[in-house]
Amino acid sequence: MGSDFYQLYILPFAGIIIKICRAYTNNQEDFEDYYQEVCLQIWRSRDNFNQECEWPTWIYRISLNVCLTYLKRRKSGAKEIISNSLPDEAIDDSKAFASDEINQLYSAIKHLSETDRAIILLYLEEKSYLEIAEIIGSNTNNIGVRIKRIKDRLNKYINQKD
Amino acid sequence: MTKSIERMWKDGFVNEANLTAPKINDLYNRKSQNIVDKMQNMFAINIKAIIIGSFIMLIMMSLIGAPFLGLYICCLLLPLISIAKRELKKSFNLSKGQSSYEYLMSFDNWLKSSIEAYSSYYKVFYPLFFLGMATQGIVSNAGGELISLLMKMFPTDILILGLPYYLIAAIAIVTLIMAKYADVLYRWDLNIVYGRQFKKLEELITDMKTLRN
Repeated sequence: MGSDFYQLYILPFAGIIIKICRAYTNNQEDFEDYYQEVCLQIWRSRDNFNQECEWPTWIYRISLNVCLTYLKRRKSGAKEIISNSLPDEAIDDSKAFASDEINQLYSAIKHLSETDRAIILLYLEEKSYLEIAEIIGSNTNNIGVRIKRIKDRLNKYINQKD
Repeated sequence: MTKSIERMWKDGFVNEANLTAPKINDLYNRKSQNIVDKMQNMFAINIKAIIIGSFIMLIMMSLIGAPFLGLYICCLLLPLISIAKRELKKSFNLSKGQSSYEYLMSFDNWLKSSIEAYSSYYKVFYPLFFLGMATQGIVSNAGGELISLLMKMFPTDILILGLPYYLIAAIAIVTLIMAKYADVLYRWDLNIVYGRQFKKLEELITDMKTLRN
């Protein structure tokens, strides 16, 4: 496989992957690892893409599923952990994006559970409740309620910081 | 704070093209860190290790004058290869393009059925392995000397298959203990390596299930 696949099918949608990976990582090194893993899995899953959904939706799905089940090594190298399940880990990429507001928002998003992060990211990306329910695999009715709760929590975190 | 989070998002990513993708290094030869791939690798390595291990056992046992035990262990290991191959094949049906819930559920189901398949076999494997070793021990010269010594120290008229009853009883008890705890041992071993990930997956699935109800 040449780099054509990356250039043609992944790079134009890199924004989606970046936004998702940033929500599941706490530092640049992890972010780059997650990004590469997502790209690798998109490439590996390309034959399973059956055009039942749009290509960007497929990228959302893979990105989220990879972030939810990514194994990363702790710095000690002793054990692997799944996703960023270390609540006490320092969030040190507060300058990841150019906009301070976005950094602030991401900092708040990282306080949410893995599932809630996925939901709010899709919501902020202006996906409909139906699309979010399809990507996550949930009930459309519950998405609205959950989003309301997540937004309240995010606002609370952001206001506390202000 | 007056700005809504939706507005913050929109304004922050007003020019999405400015997002810089990290440099990609040797992407397509990269070693995957995904749990499914890791488990697949583990099964693939298991298959190779079992095949190599079987041959080594056969050669070693033949060299120390116990070719039948070597052959016996090889036969015990063969079903493990078949289980690992079957489970590995099943894992390739796990598509990462499913919805998150379906993906996590199919992974969880595959994992549970794999653990069940392995642990069921280990319940048979460990006791039979021990019995094979014990039998070889008994028929060996050193084993014969040990039995003579035992008979001198603890003489008895009750012999089963020409062996003192307590020796048979001890072997039977150890075999039963192995059969009873093989499953626990296997799961304990697996939990040491992947326990944290399994717990995390369980939490994720529980959370997603609440969203479906």
